[in-house]
Amino acid sequence: MKILLVEDDIDTRSYVSAGLKARGHCVDESGNGSDGLSRASAQEYDVIILDRMLPSIDGMSVLRSLRNGGAHARILMLTALGDVDARIEGMEAGADDYLGKPFALSELLARLNAISRRGAYTSAATTLQVGDLELDLIAQRVTRAGRQIHLQPREWDLLKYFALHAGEVITRAMLLEHVWGFQSSFQSNLVDTHVCRLRSKIDRDFFGPRLLRTVRGEGYRLCAKQGH
Amino acid sequence: MSHPASSLLGASLFKSAAFRLAALQAFLFALAALVLFLVSWLAARNYIEGQLRQDISDEAAEVAVLHANVRADAVRRVLARRPRTPFDYGLFERDHTLIAGDVRQEPAIGWSKVDQREEHARSGGYVRRMLVLATTLDDGRILVVGRDLASVEQLDSLLKRTFTWASLAVVLLALMGGMVTALSYLRRVEVVASAASRIAAGDLGARVAVTRRGDEFDRLAVSLNSMLERIQTLVEGMRQVSSDIAHDLRTPLTHLRQKLETAMQEATSIESYDQACERALADVDGVLETFSALLRITKVESRQRQAGFAEVALSPLLERLADDYRPMLEDDGRMLHTDIAPGVQVHGDALLLTQMVVNLIENALHHTPPGTPVRLKLEALDKLRRVIIEDAGPGIPAHERTRVLKRFVRLDAARTTPGNGLGLALVAAVADLHQIALTLADAGPGLRVQLDFTFPPNISKGVTP
Repeated sequence: MKILLVEDDIDTRSYVSAGLKARGHCVDESGNGSDGLSRASAQEYDVIILDRMLPSIDGMSVLRSLRNGGAHARILMLTALGDVDARIEGMEAGADDYLGKPFALSELLARLNAISRRGAYTSAATTLQVGDLELDLIAQRVTRAGRQIHLQPREWDLLKYFALHAGEVITRAMLLEHVWGFQSSFQSNLVDTHVCRLRSKIDRDFFGPRLLRTVRGEGYRLCAKQGH
Repeated sequence: MSHPASSLLGASLFKSAAFRLAALQAFLFALAALVLFLVSWLAARNYIEGQLRQDISDEAAEVAVLHANVRADAVRRVLARRPRTPFDYGLFERDHTLIAGDVRQEPAIGWSKVDQREEHARSGGYVRRMLVLATTLDDGRILVVGRDLASVEQLDSLLKRTFTWASLAVVLLALMGGMVTALSYLRRVEVVASAASRIAAGDLGARVAVTRRGDEFDRLAVSLNSMLERIQTLVEGMRQVSSDIAHDLRTPLTHLRQKLETAMQEATSIESYDQACERALADVDGVLETFSALLRITKVESRQRQAGFAEVALSPLLERLADDYRPMLEDDGRMLHTDIAPGVQVHGDALLLTQMVVNLIENALHHTPPGTPVRLKLEALDKLRRVIIEDAGPGIPAHERTRVLKRFVRLDAARTTPGNGLGLALVAAVADLHQIALTLADAGPGLRVQLDFTFPPNISKGVTP
């Protein structure tokens, strides 16, 4: 992916940039808002990682200018610790996702993957398929190998989110934010419990590969192929 | 009052708004008195002149009915009886020569005012002003009857004198009243100002004295005091946070340092380094989580009441939370009993209310032994909406129930369970923001947390049909 990283803190910038390059992404770096804005206007990027607090022009203004200018790039905002209101403000201004500092690199990568694929499924799609697991989005029915599986409403939301991002690593924080709508990381193992229940319903009584797997230290992945 | 204060009072008296208002009032009073004088003066003058005209024309008519031959004699006779008659007369021949009377100059026919010089032996003479009526008699002669206007002029000067003294008195009284008002207002303002300067000097506990009069100054004092109360709470909260951070983050950071030191000295393989790094990361994450929890609490505490509030459908919110947490509770062999009244709405911030209830459910989950039943209840009572979260665990001793709402307070029994001692502090902050009455009580056995949504009654809606 072609990524523009706009971040004024040199340590964070080089840390993130190195991490992204190590995974094969092409990264342009910028240290302030006006430079970031001119780069983003001059070239097409897949994703722009935009810090909220920037010298010269702040991140929110850059975001608004880009969206008003009709930029199609996916935008991931970075923000200082625990700023819950800023998240809502950023999403309303057109950010695709929001990540609070400090973050683990794996969290950033997972979110980049998720937002860069977003929109790959058109709204016209009425079914989602992962291996022999099939989701009927209209009837809200789940079947695996032709057998129907009964899910609780929250389990349905969870599975749908996994299926929309099949093959990607999904972190606990992403699930809390996008499935539950909770803003902060809770200490409990709410996510683990629900994923565990979901897994027992879609994986336990079936032959064939396990679909919903834990990625150690990072999160979960719904995937049909083995050895991913 | 001390000397500097009273001199300050004196200096600022004439500058005070109340005194300037009184001066303006005095001016307006004087103007009103002038208008009053003009109106009454004109009225009195008109009345007196009307009376005079009436008398004069009656007298002229009386002379006119006499026979032409005796009129001159009659005038002479009457004038001889002066000063018993108040009238002046003049009977003129057709060629304007005076036949009889004391009006020496013949005026024009009809009403007029004439000035006539009178010789006086001692004072040397003076000018007399008269109101006269000249009529043509049946024999062609002219009859003039008049009266002295001295009485009217006397009334004029009397009225002018009265007006001058009265308006002087009015202005003086108004100014004195203004001074008294200004002084008493200044004294009350001084009380507020001195409280403000004590606060500025650092005494955050200073308050404006409230009298028992219940007037506007008392109302002002009461609202200022409640504002000061809130500011003091916030400032002390901030001080508290700083010292809390200093005390309570030192421990995990010390542990982290020890672990890293140990790893440097003792780790021999890449794996053991990896393990040490992982543990260190977990410690750092814990510290960061504590930080963001603190920030969250501070943010909630410093938020303006009602800002960003909306109608929140509390019943479905609690139903969803119950569904989310039921699996976790049941994994531990607990039962979650719910009794949620349908259709209850409250005024608030949905995210914060969710966070509050989540914290309470998680407390029940973490601080009670496996198998303990938990109850979540929502009641729509007459004047309030009540949420109850209750467990049958060990509970909190009565004397600790206020303390556990403060930051970083963890009971001895909870030392071994995960957590940072900020969960209930956040609950308390959210409750305070929403003006929810938060009560911790004994569930016999266990802890019963009761949240009473009481404010604002006019906005919080009841059970919707």
